[in-house]
Amino acid sequence: MRVIKVALLIAAALHANDDGIIAFKEGRYSEALAKLKNAASARDRAFLALTQAALGDCKSALPGLTASYTDPTIARLTGLAAVKCDTANAFTRIERLQEQFPNDPDVLYTAARFYMKAFNDATFAMFQRTPSSYRVHELSAEIFETQNRYSDAIAEYRKAIETNPNAPELHYRLGRALLLQSHDPAALEQAASEFRSELALSPEDGACEFQLGQIAQVRGNAPEAKSHFERALALSPSFVQALIALGKLCSQEKDYKRAISLLSRAITLQPANETAHYALLTAYRDSGDMEKAKAEKATLDKLQKPPEGEFSEFLKKLGEKQPEQ
Amino acid sequence: MSFLRILLLAALYTVDFRNIAKQAGLTDVFPNGGTVSKQYIIETTGSGIAFIDYDNDGLLDLFVLSGEGGTNRMYHNEGNGRFRDATDELGLRSSGWAQGVCAGDYDNDGFTDLFVTYWGQNHLYRNVEGKRFEDVTASAHLKQDRVRYNTGCAFVDVDNDGHLDLFVSNYLKFDPATTPHPGANPYCFYRGIAVNCGPRGLPFDRNILYRNNGDGTFSDISEQSGIAAPDGHYSLSVLTGDFNEDGLTDIYVACDQTPSLLYINKGHGKFEEEGLLRGVAFDQNGKAMSGMGLDAADYAGDGHLSIFRTNFSDEFETLYRNRGDGSFDDVTLDAGLGQNTRYVGWGTGFFDFNNDGWKDLLLVNGHVFPEVESLHIDIHYKDRAILYENLGNGRFRDISQSAGPALLEKHSSRGAAFGDFDNDGAIEIAINNQNESPSLLKQTTNPPGHWVILKLAGTRSNRSAIGARVKLVAAGHAQYGEVRSGGSYLSQNDLRLHFGLASGTKIDRIEIVWPSGTKQILTDQVCDRVLTITEPLH
Repeated sequence: MRVIKVALLIAAALHANDDGIIAFKEGRYSEALAKLKNAASARDRAFLALTQAALGDCKSALPGLTASYTDPTIARLTGLAAVKCDTANAFTRIERLQEQFPNDPDVLYTAARFYMKAFNDATFAMFQRTPSSYRVHELSAEIFETQNRYSDAIAEYRKAIETNPNAPELHYRLGRALLLQSHDPAALEQAASEFRSELALSPEDGACEFQLGQIAQVRGNAPEAKSHFERALALSPSFVQALIALGKLCSQEKDYKRAISLLSRAITLQPANETAHYALLTAYRDSGDMEKAKAEKATLDKLQKPPEGEFSEFLKKLGEKQPEQ
Repeated sequence: MSFLRILLLAALYTVDFRNIAKQAGLTDVFPNGGTVSKQYIIETTGSGIAFIDYDNDGLLDLFVLSGEGGTNRMYHNEGNGRFRDATDELGLRSSGWAQGVCAGDYDNDGFTDLFVTYWGQNHLYRNVEGKRFEDVTASAHLKQDRVRYNTGCAFVDVDNDGHLDLFVSNYLKFDPATTPHPGANPYCFYRGIAVNCGPRGLPFDRNILYRNNGDGTFSDISEQSGIAAPDGHYSLSVLTGDFNEDGLTDIYVACDQTPSLLYINKGHGKFEEEGLLRGVAFDQNGKAMSGMGLDAADYAGDGHLSIFRTNFSDEFETLYRNRGDGSFDDVTLDAGLGQNTRYVGWGTGFFDFNNDGWKDLLLVNGHVFPEVESLHIDIHYKDRAILYENLGNGRFRDISQSAGPALLEKHSSRGAAFGDFDNDGAIEIAINNQNESPSLLKQTTNPPGHWVILKLAGTRSNRSAIGARVKLVAAGHAQYGEVRSGGSYLSQNDLRLHFGLASGTKIDRIEIVWPSGTKQILTDQVCDRVLTITEPLH
């Protein structure tokens, strides 16, 4: 009889805890708190902490939120709530959550939100405390670039240069923005001029050498392009894009040995670089080594398969819909 | 014409293209989807245009395709610089979304027939003695069992049996009932604005090859030929040519946002797709472009067919130089074609506008999204054409700004056809513009160089001589040409071959390799005329 009574009490407690979890899920947090207050199991303690966090009582919630849970669903929920409750350690917690749940939309959303807030806070502080700094214009320009507002970005970069003519990277970024803003061939010369200005400030800027090489290439001047790519590579020996660009030019010149060496190095540095594999395929083909060319083709075929993921799945389903006859 | 006179004319000659469509009577407007916004991709791909001489009077007539809400129209060349609408008397009134057109004498009766592709049912029009066209789609067994988005087409004798087979490219599976609306998913945006969805995100379809049975019917051999094998391509224009010079016609297809396809003809009606290894699937960075229009020519004087493809904005046009074995190098930048990146290119053609013996290059443009105007950037729905002059050293020079007002007119152009409609030795260009009347580009003064137009007639080969390959030598300069059905962007050029001869006052030698394998040589031919050559019977 006594055993039955104990069993009934346990069942009632479990029932109360289940009701508490249901109340939590339905947003009835006060009711959930009352039903979960005697939580004993790890699960119930987690939901008690989640309820406390939902009610804004982070102090009480934190121990439960930061405990270790084997159930991934609970670990995910408590981890997300802990980010909100423990703002001092939010970024560490976000990084951990992203490692554990890399494809979780809530985790990604929370990360995006926190990084955005951090960006906004820092930007606001800069605009408020150092409004006349060239950095204000530089940051404004970068923001405009993300919005594809290249004319505005160019204007801000120019203001930044006017404010601090010797600051590094401004001419480089201005040159890039000029190329993005206009398709007019005249923009090539304007951009080249900015890259040269940047090199005057930073003679060892391999990225500028690379950009000048690309401009020379678009203008059909392969020898000039090659000399820029050579310099870019001398400055930054692991500059993958420069390795590829130079490798392709060597292929064109029928210097297949050097082309293959440069392109192979690019692939060692970036094994998934499709451009490098394609250039290497072409170098092998043109040198007469069709077997190796075919091997590169096989690699390229694999790399060019669309990435798996929710969006790809969505598209596959779309593809399964047959048009009406 | 004396050499000195040629020199004098060359000094005085300035290229000046004018749009003479209105004076020529080409004033009908051809509808093709929305003008301010487009809800579906079918409104963007537009339609082709064809120069064909349907009544064998020696003058090129003009066939213009229409989108929904209009009819395709055949304009008869009256011979006085004017065209007359002969659509109804020829039985060519139509409806629906016409896409591509290709010409060829599929029944070898001496009159050029027409094939028109549709989103919907294609149509084969048999030319009845130049007097009318009979829709023989059903009796030719070319009815399709479902709605398909057929785009490019070309008559091609894949097995050199003297009967023209038919290749039809398919863009994708499209149904307005299941296609998402603008802005519905990430593939329905362009630079942040909601636009019609696709091609990415819409289902792929397969290309089709029909074998001509020689009795007026066709059989679908897409599967057994290998044409249907490639999956995952949005196919648009078709370009035929014997790229590896083995006597068998290969097929190249420009694909949108996916690797372009090169079907190598292995003989006996079998093809293998080898675009990637042969270097014509991607750009030089190994990225698939948005391929639209195509042409091939020996632009470099090396005896090999190189390929030019028009692409999307923010992409280079692509020039693939044939290495001589049917593999190609992307030489776009080295050829000087790397500076026009704001245009979406469509119809294109190699043609010798100044008769200097080197094939120049023209492409027509226009964005797919009218909504792009709301961005206030340098990319526009209606834009000008581009004319590149071949410098004879493997490089081209953009002369669009100084080549006359017609090049600078802004249209959203799609199909473009090249042909000499008045037989004066200078090539004209007909252009199908979305929701406008067509353009007809003609030079105000004839170029100074000599010329010849070869009209080939097959006997053992197909009557249209499609696939015949010509080497022509004048003044020590060798040029090559190939008779081709389809091409450009969903369009048909004059089936005759035009050669500029510069100061050459006679043609030293013409070598023809007919599809049948027959080789024919003519020497010491007079220039500045249309020269008809019939294939010897043995």
